[in-house]
Amino acid sequence: MSDGLILLFSVLVFPGGLFALALGLLIKGVDRRVAARLQRRVGPPLLQPVFDLIKLSRKETMIPAQSSAAIFRWAPLAGFSCMVLAAAMIPINGVYRPSPELGDLLTLFYLLAVPAVVLMLAGSASGSPFGAIGFSREMSIMLAYEGPVLLALLSVAIRVGVGEGHLISLSLTEIVQYQRVHGPFILDPWMWPAMLTFLCFFPANLGVLPFDIPEAETEVLEGPLLEYSGPSLGLFKMMSAVKCVVVLGLGITLFLPNGPDGVLGLLLFAVKCTVLAVLGVTVVRTGMGRMRIDQAFRFFLKWPLALGIASLAIMLARS
Amino acid sequence: MNAQIPSLLSRLSTKSPWLYRINAGSCNGCDVELATTAIIPRYDVERLGCQYCGSPKHADIVLITGPLTVRVKDKVLRLYQEIPDPKVTVAVGVCPISGGVFRDSYAIAGPLDQYIPIDVNVPGCPPRPQAIIEGIAKAIAVWQTRI
Ligand code: SF4
Repeated sequence: MSDGLILLFSVLVFPGGLFALALGLLIKGVDRRVAARLQRRVGPPLLQPVFDLIKLSRKETMIPAQSSAAIFRWAPLAGFSCMVLAAAMIPINGVYRPSPELGDLLTLFYLLAVPAVVLMLAGSASGSPFGAIGFSREMSIMLAYEGPVLLALLSVAIRVGVGEGHLISLSLTEIVQYQRVHGPFILDPWMWPAMLTFLCFFPANLGVLPFDIPEAETEVLEGPLLEYSGPSLGLFKMMSAVKCVVVLGLGITLFLPNGPDGVLGLLLFAVKCTVLAVLGVTVVRTGMGRMRIDQAFRFFLKWPLALGIASLAIMLARS
Repeated sequence: MNAQIPSLLSRLSTKSPWLYRINAGSCNGCDVELATTAIIPRYDVERLGCQYCGSPKHADIVLITGPLTVRVKDKVLRLYQEIPDPKVTVAVGVCPISGGVFRDSYAIAGPLDQYIPIDVNVPGCPPRPQAIIEGIAKAIAVWQTRI
């Protein structure tokens, strides 16, 4: 009974649900502010994403006549709840250890694909031609980045698994434990190909420049989100804030989970997330233009895929 | 106490006005002015929480430029209906007010306020960026009474 309650708490309050949402909104605020500063603008206040959400909750929801109303209405909720669940699966060194019932690295990887699928559903259910274009672009870019990233995840899993004496380790807690004892993977040059692959995955999965092709507002008017308004658009914004924490947290877990215990460890986790977001997302997105979908597709099947295969080969050769 | 929370929420909401541009047959002068107002660092409107959005369904403040030509009239009216309530309309330039330099043309259906309610007028041909920002600030004040 109490185990169930603890599980529920970890999904709904900490580190899933409320905590992840707050951290995600803060990171989004820092991102917008730093981006503005890099362009020599003043920029919005740090809490701008929160104000946006409050505003959206007070607007009218419009459901287009030509849409499939049920899917259109429920898709954002499905995406948000999957991300909340995924946030509870990210370990925080010295603070939180996800219970094994929640699933392992592969479960997390599949949950991470849910927002893209939800966007595809939303785009095609909205009945708008722009949504349909966004749908097809979302699908092609997802097909392009899933493969390389899976290779990077597998290299980490094999490295830890071999180090612990079995073939492959898919438990996130074990990956953190291994790096606590043997030092973080970020310091090991053999892990750098996997890390670079993961860095390419950030902007694509979070849908920011140069890979915001499915939602490009100057081309397809925000694609799948075009027909959404009011609270349901707010749910999509919340989904992307929590997803930001999940993806950043996964990167930290895989390559640099080390840190002190207790409150300090929690603070360090938040700082690491923010720094990673600024370096891996904000700087990249202010410094680059948008790629075309075919360029992005070819990019992922060239460099990240080659790096992914290389890092898997290194891991297999060294084991 | 119970009355205070909604008013606090509506005050916080007004920190996030999203802008949507409609070109109702403008000569493009006003649109260029709008683009510079938003994009160049000097007149950054993002510090008011503003953000240009690509979809009318995300919009809070509508900026309409141009004299409303006969050809675009139906499309503009339809777009206006697609914007969820509560919304505020700002007419940018003298064109929407009177037709401006196009006023006696056979191709003009305006003035705009015969068809949609206009909350703020920003006269000028084209208006200066400062005037447009002032117009947006006034629109935010109007919006606060509605949200
Ligand atoms: S007000 Fe002047 S600048 Fe603006 S659209 Fe009309 S003619 Fe062009």
